[in-house]
Amino acid sequence: MEAFRFIQKNTIIHKLDPRTKLLLAIIYTILGITFEDIFILLFIFISLLPFILVGQLFKKWIKSIRGMTFLFLLLIIFNTLFDSFSKSLSMIIRIMIMVSSFSLFFLTVHPDDLMLSLISLKIPYNIAFSFALSFRFVPTIAIEAQNIIDAQKSRGYEMEEGGLISQAKNLIPLLIPLIVCSMKRAFHIAESLDSRAFGSTKNRTYYYSIFYTKKDWFLTAVLIIIFIFGILVKIFPLLLPNWFYWRFPV
Amino acid sequence: MEKKFKNPQILVNLLTFQYPDGTIALKGINLNIYSGEIVGILGKNGAGKSTLIKTFNGLLKPTTGAVYIDNDDVSSVLMSKLTKKIGIVFQNPDLQLFANTVEEEIRFSLKNLDLSKIDIENKIDQTLQIYHLEHLRNRTPFTLSGGEKRRLSIASIMCREPRIIIFDEPTIGQDAEGIEFIKNLIKEKHFEGKTIIIVTHDIEFTIDTIPRTILMADGLIIADGPTEKILSQDLLLDLGSLISPQLIKLSKFLIDSGIKVPNDVYVFENMIQFLGFYFKDGMGITEGGKS
Repeated sequence: MEAFRFIQKNTIIHKLDPRTKLLLAIIYTILGITFEDIFILLFIFISLLPFILVGQLFKKWIKSIRGMTFLFLLLIIFNTLFDSFSKSLSMIIRIMIMVSSFSLFFLTVHPDDLMLSLISLKIPYNIAFSFALSFRFVPTIAIEAQNIIDAQKSRGYEMEEGGLISQAKNLIPLLIPLIVCSMKRAFHIAESLDSRAFGSTKNRTYYYSIFYTKKDWFLTAVLIIIFIFGILVKIFPLLLPNWFYWRFPV
Repeated sequence: MEKKFKNPQILVNLLTFQYPDGTIALKGINLNIYSGEIVGILGKNGAGKSTLIKTFNGLLKPTTGAVYIDNDDVSSVLMSKLTKKIGIVFQNPDLQLFANTVEEEIRFSLKNLDLSKIDIENKIDQTLQIYHLEHLRNRTPFTLSGGEKRRLSIASIMCREPRIIIFDEPTIGQDAEGIEFIKNLIKEKHFEGKTIIIVTHDIEFTIDTIPRTILMADGLIIADGPTEKILSQDLLLDLGSLISPQLIKLSKFLIDSGIKVPNDVYVFENMIQFLGFYFKDGMGITEGGKS
């Protein structure tokens, strides 16, 4: 979850309009799904790196990629067994593209702006608000989870032992307090929202606003061009030189 | 004074602790706590109180320096061994209650103590009785009242019979009855010879029950000594964001009004006694008084 936690920084990427970054994440995800050739995916992936570097997100990004090593290993093993090595590689790059582009979004968009950008997509306020709220509470719940672990350890709870089933059983003393506390918090939040007349007016105004700057328009244009080009390549594969479609023999 | 010749039960030597995010919570703590003491740890939020007690039972490992419990370096002892010696009663019972029944909640605490089945069952009976939870035995912990939950969470630590008991903010959110219960519990455990450490903001509670106070600010211990001495120094109180207890305010007021007060009036009973004598002898505050 670390990979999706916003940290305030002062870079061009952070200053971009959240909608531009959402568009970026969506377009990159679509492109990632569209292609399955290693080199094309690699190109798409590499074109994401400048954003990560400019946004000073490299460390966090590496962390989140490293966190998925196990998943990648599984993918390589199973895909090579049942399909081909090339397929497994392209699958991994595809996942990296999606995770990178979305963590770029979540790492650089303030939770409040996140809500505003959802609203600008015509998503109802209640839904956008609860979505933003859930992001806001991720760190809180992480802290609480740590406190629960501490409390249980202090009465003799031991974390690491046994096989998969006994480990799952072992999680109960942590999960139940976590769920109970989260539900309690949810009720508290609901009460405090009600007591502040949440939802009393249909058309609400917003204290903060988000707006497109020249940079946003520029990036949007670039993204759309990339997207159109991507679609064209998908329809007319001959637009790209042949070596783009190279595969491992296995 | 004989304390000085004994080895401290908890010895903290030049302890620092830095959280992974870079915050330095402890900046060089030196501390001795002897067996059988009642010690209060006071200080602002963020002074490092909770971090300090978490290093005692191995929840946090010192960045530099060391903590010794009974002469064993904490960072080289298994945590399961430490938690047998040290019990921490956390502030919020919801953080640990998870079982289907009250009984089972206590059984969970006893599971890792190498006790036989019969011993465990006996211990559960005994604990439920001591903490007045017998009638709730088969209830779900989540449906208990706040006070009952609190008692259960204390019971689930006490049944392990730790020799060092740490209370984290024991009086927060407690009614008078709950506070009285905790005071009595502390007296009882003190009588049994346990070492008791209390992290608290409750100044009245401190002056009532805790003889020795450690005042922390900004990751350091800024004062360590008899409670009434520390709590009567305005500078220290300021540093710890504390307000002086009413008894101390009263005695200061009496002194300012020119009345000679004995040194031991910081204890409630003594103050009553003193005031009783004072007024009985007809030396009441004169000339309209500043009552």
